[in-house]
Amino acid sequence: MIRIAWRSLLAHKLRSFLTALAILLGVAMISGTYVFTDQISRAFDEIYSEAFKGTDVTITRTSSFSSDYGAAVGGLPESMVEDVRAVDGVKEANGYISGMGAIAVDGEVVETGGSPTLFFSYVPSAMSATSYVEGDPPTKPGEIAVVKGLAEDEGLGIGSPVTVIADTGTYETRVSGVFTFASESSLGGSLLLNTTFEDGQLWFDLDGQVSEIDVTAADGVSPDALATRLRAALPEEADVKTGEQAAADASQQISDALGTFINPVLLSLGGVAVLVGAFIIFNAFSMTVAQRRREFALLRALGALRRQVMWSITGEALVMGVLASVLGLVVGMGFAAGVNALMKALNVDIPTSSLVMQPRTVIVGLVVGISITLLSAVVPALRATRVPPVAALQEGATLPAARYSRFTPYVAAAVAALGVLGMVNGMYGVGSTTQRLLAMAVGAVLLFVAVAMLSKYFVAPVAGFIGWPLTRVAKTSGRLARDNSMRNPARTAATASALMIGLGVVVFVAVFAQGLKSSFVDGFDQVVRADYVVAATNYLTLPGDTARRLEYVPAVDTSAGVNIQVVQTGGAKKTTTTLNGVEPSTFSKVWSFDWIEGDDTVLPKLGTDGALLEEQTARSLGVKVGDSFSVQSPEGEKAGFEVRGIYRDPMMLVGITVGDAAYDRLSPRSQLYMVLVTATGAQGADKAALEGALADVPTADVMTAAEYKDMMVGSINQLLNLLYGLLAMSVIISLFGIVNTLVLSVYERTREIGLLRAIGASRRQIRRSVRYESVITSVIGGVLGILVGIVFAYVVTTRFGGMGIKFSVPGAQLVVFLVIAVVVGVLAAILPARRAARIDILEAIHYE
Amino acid sequence: METMDREATQTAPAGPACEASDLDAADAVVVARGITRDYGEGDAAVHALRGVDVDMVRGRLTAIMGPSGSGKSTLMHILAGLDEPTAGTVEVDGIEITSLKERELTQLRRDKIGFIFQTLNLLPTLTAQENIELPMTIAGRKGDGQWVGQLIDTVGLADRLDHKPAELSGGQQQRVAVARALVGRPAVLFADEPTGNLDSKTGDQVLDLLRRSVDDFGQTIVMVTHDAHAASIADRLLFLHDGRIVYDCGRMARDEIFEVIKSLEDRR
Repeated sequence: MIRIAWRSLLAHKLRSFLTALAILLGVAMISGTYVFTDQISRAFDEIYSEAFKGTDVTITRTSSFSSDYGAAVGGLPESMVEDVRAVDGVKEANGYISGMGAIAVDGEVVETGGSPTLFFSYVPSAMSATSYVEGDPPTKPGEIAVVKGLAEDEGLGIGSPVTVIADTGTYETRVSGVFTFASESSLGGSLLLNTTFEDGQLWFDLDGQVSEIDVTAADGVSPDALATRLRAALPEEADVKTGEQAAADASQQISDALGTFINPVLLSLGGVAVLVGAFIIFNAFSMTVAQRRREFALLRALGALRRQVMWSITGEALVMGVLASVLGLVVGMGFAAGVNALMKALNVDIPTSSLVMQPRTVIVGLVVGISITLLSAVVPALRATRVPPVAALQEGATLPAARYSRFTPYVAAAVAALGVLGMVNGMYGVGSTTQRLLAMAVGAVLLFVAVAMLSKYFVAPVAGFIGWPLTRVAKTSGRLARDNSMRNPARTAATASALMIGLGVVVFVAVFAQGLKSSFVDGFDQVVRADYVVAATNYLTLPGDTARRLEYVPAVDTSAGVNIQVVQTGGAKKTTTTLNGVEPSTFSKVWSFDWIEGDDTVLPKLGTDGALLEEQTARSLGVKVGDSFSVQSPEGEKAGFEVRGIYRDPMMLVGITVGDAAYDRLSPRSQLYMVLVTATGAQGADKAALEGALADVPTADVMTAAEYKDMMVGSINQLLNLLYGLLAMSVIISLFGIVNTLVLSVYERTREIGLLRAIGASRRQIRRSVRYESVITSVIGGVLGILVGIVFAYVVTTRFGGMGIKFSVPGAQLVVFLVIAVVVGVLAAILPARRAARIDILEAIHYE
Repeated sequence: METMDREATQTAPAGPACEASDLDAADAVVVARGITRDYGEGDAAVHALRGVDVDMVRGRLTAIMGPSGSGKSTLMHILAGLDEPTAGTVEVDGIEITSLKERELTQLRRDKIGFIFQTLNLLPTLTAQENIELPMTIAGRKGDGQWVGQLIDTVGLADRLDHKPAELSGGQQQRVAVARALVGRPAVLFADEPTGNLDSKTGDQVLDLLRRSVDDFGQTIVMVTHDAHAASIADRLLFLHDGRIVYDCGRMARDEIFEVIKSLEDRR
């Protein structure tokens, strides 16, 4: 029977190819995601293990809690280096400084596309992962060495001037040497610079401290043993790890970051593609089963059991699934390479290593591809077994309805109910975030399936409605197209459903993003009273004295900064949240709090123990005005606060807001996120004045409030475009689905088309009727997708309304999506319409 | 009940007479008794068969004839287990088939029955040889190589075995179908208008093949046809009219057959 399946695949190459393509692309996206993220992880693995190669033990400041936001911790006392050297078994110990900042060449900040610019002090030791290829390490203050990639990109040589922008200010330096790090000429997109130890301490506000102490063990002492001894000898604030452990932890952090964002997003998009593929396979098999009805009847008449007929079709699906999945894996490598290229084009520089296909990738790809293909073919295969043997003797009999088809509405209702249950559980239920997101995803998939199952009941009237204008435009072709699309509602429904899913997700993303953007804009307009916003480029912070310096600009009325750091709240339920530090006396001049309790008068009286809470945080902490709570900084500093006011601000100042004095007590290091400025004069002149005052801080970007808003909206748009690009894959797959359906229905109607041609229909009319049928199908899919997407977005935004995302429908964009649906329909019809028009009249009429 | 009135159905009406078949009904492969078949219910009911008793004799070729709508196809479907009678019993090679379950019927078709249809006898994706061996493939049995070889020689398609059906002429396709039907040595072979789609020359080749399979291999064949020429190779001819067997004749010449057909058509 498998031979029959195999032959059938070979005999219908175009159909097999189009069907397989649907699953191939889905598998490619999934395996490509793994290949893509695996190579990043691997690249970082290599870099970190190289970086820590000569280091047996490394000591850093203990972070009191770990957080997704990468809480910054300060350094260790410089004196600890001596303490370490005194421990038995230590061969060599060096302390060094590391920090993040930015550099400018010729007054222009060197952009990194999101990666950090890392400074670390030079240590003359075999432990160091740096090796100099040109010049010498920095030895005098004001000297700096740059990584080879940076030197090449910026054309830097020995003696070139480089401006360093660090926590404590801006410094002019000269290049003393060029090095490679861990044998790499660059580390991903990040910029690496070597400083002198003293400059490091000065620049990063680490006077008398070191960021890290690296240790090598004496002969005969294992790193583990040494780490144990050091742990015993040093205070609790020292976090002692073996080099191996530190490398593993560092690269685990990268993997986790990939695992919490990039992987799930890309995999979900791959999942959408696979789901779309499932509908196409289902449809393709349903149609071929209908066409091969008499073949199955013949097999049954010759004594084939139902099971054998079932096997011949599932066998076909199996062969197709295996081939498509294997090819999908190969294409997945290309997909990964494509994403690499895309990232490069978007200036997101990520370290890459060779593309590797891990066993996990192969297994997941094959299992998903093969099982989805088989599952999608099961229902058509069951229908094939219902073909009675006597059908071999009858012409024109239709496929018997599936045994349980009369239960379809109930099954669909049950599936929909399960879907709703999944989504509700995801939104309100218990369990980890991952579990809940999974429940929501499963719920959404089930709802899609339910809509698809039910759509065959309303697709005919909808097709009639959508087709109506076409019957006006072109009487014959329009009429034919409309009737053909209504003739087999189940088929039209399944074809349209494939597009519905792809577009549904696109619309969901679009509506959600629109909500996000408009909430941000509304929130910003509501709270920000300032005329100007000064923020740092490259995701950096501003020098701590920026706000103070701007106060002296003549045109400036008020200048107030916002410091932001991550803290952990105390009490039974430890949660990480953000702590905002503001200048209590002036902040209300630039900021209009949306008070729930309290008013602007509480601000100046915050002192060191008063705090204002954003509504959400107050609720999650379960505190009211007058209650107390405590927080802990990553460095382990603790502070207690009394709630003095509660405000609503889900987009900007989330978490806890305290006065600068309280903020500094928790974190002595400056984390100036932005400075808000109100000015007195004309906008153009003021902006120039502000820029002039900050001329020595190239990272500072002076924007009017409107420009700042545009920038934030722009960054949402950029992410959105990336998502659209990836979702386009699903839409393309559904396009192939429409091609497939049309090719098969044209084939089915060969005789009919021949007859139409014989009685005088022109090729053009035939082509047009196919094209219109295609457009009717794709518009149904488009409309359904838009409706479903809006409903999903509505449900999700309503649920997360507290997080500040409003429900807002981007009308113009929806029109664009509908136009895309029409375009998909027109494109999909090109090949089938040509085939239909080329049908030979004589052959068609004699066609059996 | 008119349909149950067996006496009436077996009485030859007035018209041209034929020589009754002299075949020994005791050695019958297919035995049908009191077959009626109604489609629909109440006033709209159509009585396709109104009570048919028939025995298909082993090793003989029986032709079932009759104008369209006479019930000849329905009778064949019921004898072959493809359709269920409203009332009556059918035995094939000693097995009562009207009470069989779907799975047992499939088994029966596989083991005891061969089919040749008017069109679409072959799977388009398989070669001629593969199509001939298809019943064995389905049954998961190893074919009798010698028998297959003999059949291929008999149908004269040794040089066409690797061809797909689309590459064969209509007559060649039908000869492949005959070989396919014979390959499992069925107790009875049902042929439904086997020459209906062929020109007279290729039709003759197929008829010759059927005749030889009866004479040389002792195959029992039941052939439904409306073609007098095809029916002239039969050992016995049954004429149906309005759901009843109206003539049961021995060998007849083509002209005699025409005469009977004409008289039946005049009756409408």
